[in-house]
Formats: sequence, structure tokens, C-alpha cells
Amino acid sequence: MNRIRPRNSRVLAIAPSSKGFGFAVLDGQVLVDWGVRSVVKGDKNAQCVSKVEKLILRYMPHVMVLQHYGTRDTRRSGRIRDLGGQLIVLARDHKIKAASISRERIYRAFSVERRATKHTIAEILAKRFPEELTHRLPPKRRPWMSEDYRMAIFDATALALSYMYCQRTIKTSQVWSNENQPL
Amino acid sequence: MGSPQLPNHLRSHRKRLALSQEDVAYLLGSESGAKVCRYECFIREPGLRCILAFEAIFQKPARDLFPGLYSGIERDVASRATKLLSRIEGWTASRHVEHKRKALNGIAALQAKDLS
Repeated sequence: MNRIRPRNSRVLAIAPSSKGFGFAVLDGQVLVDWGVRSVVKGDKNAQCVSKVEKLILRYMPHVMVLQHYGTRDTRRSGRIRDLGGQLIVLARDHKIKAASISRERIYRAFSVERRATKHTIAEILAKRFPEELTHRLPPKRRPWMSEDYRMAIFDATALALSYMYCQRTIKTSQVWSNENQPL
Repeated sequence: MGSPQLPNHLRSHRKRLALSQEDVAYLLGSESGAKVCRYECFIREPGLRCILAFEAIFQKPARDLFPGLYSGIERDVASRATKLLSRIEGWTASRHVEHKRKALNGIAALQAKDLS
């Protein structure tokens, strides 16, 4: 257990949605776990917090990454913004660093235009983690369709990778390609 | 709070193959997925037969499937090899003792390799 590893190498990223949240756990450059957790009617935030706590206890991450909702033009609902605050408190309770990443930083990490869609980033991620994410890539959303629940997995993975890029743990080329992966 | 290495990567390898816990339990010859869940949640450590079955299922060596467990065991073995080396230090030199010393040096070096 005494292998020397870079600081903040295990990242838990959470991407809340109306039906629950998507999560991704990156250990170094290895995607250790990913998925969605759904919640039922009632106190959705309390259910989400309890499920995130289980993930924290299982993976003991160094950092929890969330999307930054503080900007004035954010279009996230009040509940999701409240959940963000509750998750930051949860991270603090477990002595984990909490970080928030804005959409602009995600676009910068992936070197895509500001107009790029979530699907464009999801496709990049599916290429970056072909074994893990290709079979979870949802079809491209049409204007009359609501967002696929699986998109939350890609949102969370993008957050985790962008955080590592912002921390200079990985380079731009490593955001795009899975070369030099330990596994 | 962060811990250096996870005991196993069973969940990620299972998800890569799009297998459910029940599927893996069936392949292991066990009745329900609960056992697999306990391994994946680091609640229980699998036995030798299970570890070999996991190797066969995921087509990966055990040290890749159980990195945390392996590095812990490797470190313990290396520190014991260092102790054993110091124990045989006073022995009269012979080809047999020299051969043993070389082998133990190799095992003890695993710890240094792990730290670098």
C-alpha cells in the first residue's frame, strides 16, 4: 500500500440529474467505476446524499468534483443547486476536497468549441474509454426527445477528466487518448 | 481520507464486459450475486479458487485484478525477505548460501521497486 502516487489521484465526480445522479470514479487514469443512481419521489436530495456517501465510503476518493452552478447564467433547478451545496458539506464531513468545474473549463479540457454539444464530448469519452463507455453511449438526442439517463455518466466522467486536466495531472492528449494507461 | 490503492478492480472489469453480478456469480459457480457484490465492495476477500476463476473470466492476471491486495502482500513478503537476509548474514559462504542470498535479494528488492 506504499506505492507513491500523485496527490488527488482518485477522483469521484457527481453529475446530478432530475432522476438521480451519474457518477464516475477515476483512479489515476483508470476509470474504476461509473454508472447512474436513480432516486424515487420524495426527498430526492436526501436519497442522493445517502447514495453518494456510500460511494465515498467504498472508494475513499481524494477529491469530489461537481459542476459549478455559481454562474449567473446557470439553468440548473433550485433542487440541484441545493444538492450541490449538500454534497460539498458531505465532502467536508468526510474530509474530502470538493472542487467545482465550470462548463467553460470542460470545453477547454476537451479542446472543443463553446457550441459543442454534450453528445460531442460523450463521443470523445467513448473513444477515450472504449471498453468502459462505448456500449453506454446513448443515441444522439433529437429536439423532441428528453435527455437519456445515461448521459449523466458521460457528464460525470467529463467532470473527472477536466478536473485532472485543470490540476495538470494529465495533458490534453491524455484527455483524448488512452495511451499510457496503467491497465 | 483518500486511500493509496483500491483492493480490487473487479467491478470495473465486470462492467467492461457488460456482465451482471448474477452472471459472474453463475460463472464462479455460486448461487447468487451477493457474493460477487461483497468482493466488489471490499467487504470480503475471495479464496484461491475464486481468484483463479476471476482470472479466467476477465482474462487478466490476479495482480491486475487485485492491485491493492497484491501490493500489500508484496510489501509484506519483501520485508520478511529482508529479515531472512539479515538472519543468514553470518552463515559461512557456500554456493548454496550464495544462491539463497541472491534469491532473497531479488525478493527484498520488490519493496524498493514498488516505492520508486
